Amino acid sequence: MAGYQSVNPNHEGDQHLIAAAHHILKLLGAIRNLSDDTRKLLADLDIHLSIMTGNTINNGGEAIEVEKRLKCAERMVLRWQANQSMIWDTGPGEVSEFLGAIDEVQTLIDSFSGVSVNENGRVRELLYRANNIVQVAMLRLQEELIHILVHHKLYFEPEYVSFHSCRADVIYDESFVSLEDESVEASQRVSNTGSVSGEYIVDLIHPQVVPDLKAIANAMIAANYDQEFCAAFIGARQDALNEYFFVILELEKFSIDDVLKMKWSTLSSEIKKWNWAMKIIIRVYLASEKQLCNKILGGFDTVCSLCFVEIAKATFLCLLNFGEAVAMGSTQPEKLFCLLDMYEVLDDLLLEIDSLLFEEAGSYIRIEFHELLRKLGHSARQAFQELQKAIAADSSMKPLPRGGIHPLTRYVMNYIKTLTIYDDTLNLLFEDQNTEDTHSIVESETEQDISPITFCPLACHLRSITSALECSLVVKSRLYREDSLRHIFLMNNIHYVVQKIKGSDLRIFFGDEWIRKHIGKFQQHATSYQRATWCSVLSFLRDDGHCSNSVLKTSYKERCREFTNAFEDVYKIQIQWCITDPQLKEDLRISTSLKVIHAYRTFIGRNRISDKHIKYTVDDLEKLLLDFFEGTWRTLRNSRRR
Amino acid sequence: MPATDYQGSFLGRISIRRNQVMSMEGNHEQELEDLELFQKHVADRFAELAPPSPSQPSDDIPSDPILSIAWIRKLLDVFLCCDAEFKAILIMGRDPSQISKPPLDRLIPEMLDRDVKALDICNAITNGIEAVRHYQKLAEIAVSALEQRPFGDGQVKRARKALTSLITAMACEDKDGANYTRTWSFGRRGAAAAGNNKSTGQLRSLSWSVSKNWSAAKQIHAMSANLVAPRGAEASGLALPVYIMSTILLFVMWTMVATIPCQERSGLATHFPVPKQLVWAQSIIGLHEKIAEEWKKKEKKGSAGLLEEMQKLDKLGQSLIEFTDSFQFPAEDERAEEVSAHLAELGETCRRMEEGLVPLQVQIREVFHRIVRSRAEFLDVLDLNGKSSALAM
Repeated sequence: MAGYQSVNPNHEGDQHLIAAAHHILKLLGAIRNLSDDTRKLLADLDIHLSIMTGNTINNGGEAIEVEKRLKCAERMVLRWQANQSMIWDTGPGEVSEFLGAIDEVQTLIDSFSGVSVNENGRVRELLYRANNIVQVAMLRLQEELIHILVHHKLYFEPEYVSFHSCRADVIYDESFVSLEDESVEASQRVSNTGSVSGEYIVDLIHPQVVPDLKAIANAMIAANYDQEFCAAFIGARQDALNEYFFVILELEKFSIDDVLKMKWSTLSSEIKKWNWAMKIIIRVYLASEKQLCNKILGGFDTVCSLCFVEIAKATFLCLLNFGEAVAMGSTQPEKLFCLLDMYEVLDDLLLEIDSLLFEEAGSYIRIEFHELLRKLGHSARQAFQELQKAIAADSSMKPLPRGGIHPLTRYVMNYIKTLTIYDDTLNLLFEDQNTEDTHSIVESETEQDISPITFCPLACHLRSITSALECSLVVKSRLYREDSLRHIFLMNNIHYVVQKIKGSDLRIFFGDEWIRKHIGKFQQHATSYQRATWCSVLSFLRDDGHCSNSVLKTSYKERCREFTNAFEDVYKIQIQWCITDPQLKEDLRISTSLKVIHAYRTFIGRNRISDKHIKYTVDDLEKLLLDFFEGTWRTLRNSRRR
Repeated sequence: MPATDYQGSFLGRISIRRNQVMSMEGNHEQELEDLELFQKHVADRFAELAPPSPSQPSDDIPSDPILSIAWIRKLLDVFLCCDAEFKAILIMGRDPSQISKPPLDRLIPEMLDRDVKALDICNAITNGIEAVRHYQKLAEIAVSALEQRPFGDGQVKRARKALTSLITAMACEDKDGANYTRTWSFGRRGAAAAGNNKSTGQLRSLSWSVSKNWSAAKQIHAMSANLVAPRGAEASGLALPVYIMSTILLFVMWTMVATIPCQERSGLATHFPVPKQLVWAQSIIGLHEKIAEEWKKKEKKGSAGLLEEMQKLDKLGQSLIEFTDSFQFPAEDERAEEVSAHLAELGETCRRMEEGLVPLQVQIREVFHRIVRSRAEFLDVLDLNGKSSALAM
């Protein structure tokens, strides 16, 4: 109460000044055509001057005036105490009356500031009464506030909000172990049209009542009831957010323990929900919540940012913790796509999170989201490396029957085909890493038209993946006893790899040179197959030309018989083998046919072997060759009956 | 000796050790010495947390009362120090294969499992601190109302309402123990307004701080279930630091659960499975006994938590409510003076909460991330071992 002394005029001069001001006020008050507002202003000023002089209020008419006004306001406020209905539901007239009364009392209280209550019993009594009225009024305002917040809250249904999501969900539920066919269809990237904050603002409270809420906020904060306002406002809005989270979006909270123990299928669907919820809650709901806070509490910046952070904090932490739990979990290769999805969603939202939690109050949460992004990136890289490790570790003791396409080859190729959708993110993640591009086979870089994509970090990693695959395939091929089948197996698998690359976006990553080289590789295996299978068989038909005629005759017949036996042996085995690609099968058959039929026809023609010594005609042989690589169990006799 | 000193000297020593290539024998001796030091440091650090005994005159700096915010922050500091030293002993400069040998091949996965449970407890506590901050705000309303002069009926009513909300909130918290109980719906109309809303009840049961059916008491129980002191030859090996660190983790988490409002605490164990003869554990056991005693009293009496500041709010709140009940207008200033001491204490408590709660929350987050990191480091080592043993096969 030290301040009032300086206000209380001690000097005679000041007393004169105040008296003069009083006089002026009286003259002004006599003017007839004053507006109500002006008249009230003059009255306020008059009372204030009276109080400043300290003694006049005790006996002067002003005291009666103050009391009259206070009584009037008191009546207005107390009138509602017994009334069950809400003021704001009753009508705008009642509202402005009530707010007017509060304003009036507040003005009176303010005008008492600077008066020593201890010395002035009358003032003290008036002040008690005024404070009491304020208390009753504030209690009422708080109730009205909650009533409005609860009854006028709005929710938006998530399906009404469309997102320019980066892509349709990539489904990759295949696990590394069991895989049969190509279940993975890489979905197309929908162009991201960029999201500007504010694009998705919705009304969380009926816009009609926002001015009412603002009026209540103003009145409560002016009366220093800001703490009560915040408690009620934060509480009601937190409940609304919880309701939205749990009831409308039907989301669930999980403990970290839960997440770490979750089955992969459950986890992947929860991750999809998280991705969706992050976008809806952060981009739409919380951005709108912030806007709402700004509308209601604009001008009270500290209160405003405090309220927003308090309302949103628990939800932010809940979303954050799920992300943490996922980033903590194991990094099996099939998790990579989920991790990349989460990474991209968070990366996309980070600017929005920054602007929502711009103030000091929420800064630690903001920093944690940045940290989470880093962790998700780290986990994604790990999952990628796990793939490489898994390829190397994939070992079985039995060769794949019939030499077809190994499930691992299918898995890896489908996997990396899907990866190209995430090229930007992956390049970003791999950028800082030292890419040991020892496996990359882009040797002749003399060509100027090679796409720069062929040299991006992702491309290097992809080539190292296929090179690990090739190594693994070579190891697997050693399990075959027959050399020929070994080559068929490698030919099939490398051909599959090349086809997958040629027929997709992978093409640019691997580059033409790589593709050429690998076409050469499987062709080499085809050649090796022919050499391994047919060299010995055709050796019976080889023309030595140095033997005597009679010996030759018998030995021609004998050699023909031996050739037939050898052919039948090969036939029995190789019709069971498998070349799944029809074109590749056709090509190999033609070139085999050319070689075998040509040698056979020449042999028979040149040596004039009679039909009774020939089990198969040239045509028979040609037909039989069509049965090769069909993966069937047909016996020779059956085939002859055709 | 402040904690940082330990860390400095000890990290220096470790880094020297890292650069040395030692014979197995030298290594073993070094190991014994490290273990000895670790136990000593643990004992010393926890001894500092013990309340000064009443026999000793407390002439030096008054220490923070046990279970106060400042004390818990010290406890968390101790945890972080111990964890750093623990990791240095177990991971740094060590051949990873040692970790995959029995009994560590069993003990470390068990420890990592405890770590995960501790993470959930950290999250539940972070949430609980929100509730405590809410109590603080209610108390602050009362303080600012009662400090106002002139002092009259209006202020008294305002303070009374805030204090009643505070006491109800703390009692509710204790009763359902599930989550942050909101007391924003003051007054009959407000309550009616909130009650009219169909989903409010449903919401209460949905907005768990951790997850549905999650119970802090059960987590604590699970953390202690397989915690057994190493015996025989194991007692001098690497099983010991794993046991020590797990005990510390359990103690820290248990203390926080007992102190700060937290989802589902009923049935919180008060038994501490640590043999009394262990020298390093003396201070921890002493602290545990003291807190367990308080907890038992609390369970009988009912209060939201053992946090010293909350107990203060409870006690001072009750006494100020009594004052407001007997308050009659016009005010007798002398009567108001009677409560000014209580009011000052409440104000001081609020100030300490204002200063300490958010940093405590941040610190719990730090503990959270430390546990995550430690767990990842151990997993890396185990992974490495898995790979090398797979290659050996």
